[in-house]
Amino acid sequence: METDIRFTHKTLVEQCKAGNSSSQFELYGLYVDAMYNVGIRFLGSKEEAEDIVQDSFVDAFKNLNNFKYDSSFGAWLKRIVINKSINRLKAKRIPVVPMDAHEYHLSDETPLETNPVDIKKVKLGIAKLPDGYRQIINLYLIEGYDHVEIGEILNISTSTSKSQYHRAKKKLLEIISEM
Amino acid sequence: MDNFEKHIRENAAQFDEHKADRAKLWAQISAQLQEKEKETKVIPLWRSSLLRIAVVIAVIVSVAGFVGLSMFNKNSGEDQYVSKELLEINMHYKDLVAYQVELVKKNPNLSEEDKAEFLSFMDELDTEYETLRLEMQKNLDNERVLEAVVANYKKRIELIQRLLQKINDSKKIEDDYGYTL
Repeated sequence: METDIRFTHKTLVEQCKAGNSSSQFELYGLYVDAMYNVGIRFLGSKEEAEDIVQDSFVDAFKNLNNFKYDSSFGAWLKRIVINKSINRLKAKRIPVVPMDAHEYHLSDETPLETNPVDIKKVKLGIAKLPDGYRQIINLYLIEGYDHVEIGEILNISTSTSKSQYHRAKKKLLEIISEM
Repeated sequence: MDNFEKHIRENAAQFDEHKADRAKLWAQISAQLQEKEKETKVIPLWRSSLLRIAVVIAVIVSVAGFVGLSMFNKNSGEDQYVSKELLEINMHYKDLVAYQVELVKKNPNLSEEDKAEFLSFMDELDTEYETLRLEMQKNLDNERVLEAVVANYKKRIELIQRLLQKINDSKKIEDDYGYTL
């Protein structure tokens, strides 16, 4: 029988809720690398990613009783990591959406068909994106959020998220094609 | 969604290229978690499934290596469950302390005097720990001895953390300055 993805590691999560430290260590082991990578993608620095991941796990374990299986534990934890990362960027006054954000950019939505690109090139391309473009690309393409969710995360409207994403994607494709 | 987007989403796993320093991060996470709940809870391991115990042991063994094994073998029979818990607690703190002592030793910002003073403190705590360990072998179930062992380790960690905090504080201004995007 296929169990709902939301209940992945349910036993483990329940043991953690009861304060079992070896379960906490086990759950930590399952997610630490993934979360660390999320942190690096957003913050671009290993030290800061470590800081955020550490903080997120502490928060997650302390507030585990608020986790009610509305999503999987991994998704819940990832949101904590992302929210903390975004807040960190904002505190540093690094733009999380393009500076000149406005919503009149619904121009060319014709899918830009491209040949399958080398993932390595995409990585390099994302790294070269200006601040403000990178986060929305990460959120949509790699973390797999939809525009409603991105709107919540970045505190912008769904349509802004869409238009900003399209702009960022265009920019990314430009950078990649120049490689 | 166009081909480009599909392609990336399908290969999103390839973007996870970094490996976290598990031991270091966990040491700090668990230290912070324990700060909150001052008393260390003792959870009977026999409540969990056999598999879970196996996983826990695998983790401990891989971290603690033969040290853990030799200790584990000393105790047998009905003491086994208790010793597993003990082993786990002990290993956890041992790792934490060893890791942080290493940090202190390596730190170039500390004078030799500070280091010597710090290490002598550690030695004192080591002696205390040895006494406690002997006591514990006589009387494995004694909670007070157990608590004393944990307190002993906590004292060390606190000591080290305060030291490191001091160093980091003095470094911070420089670091902030150097970080621009």
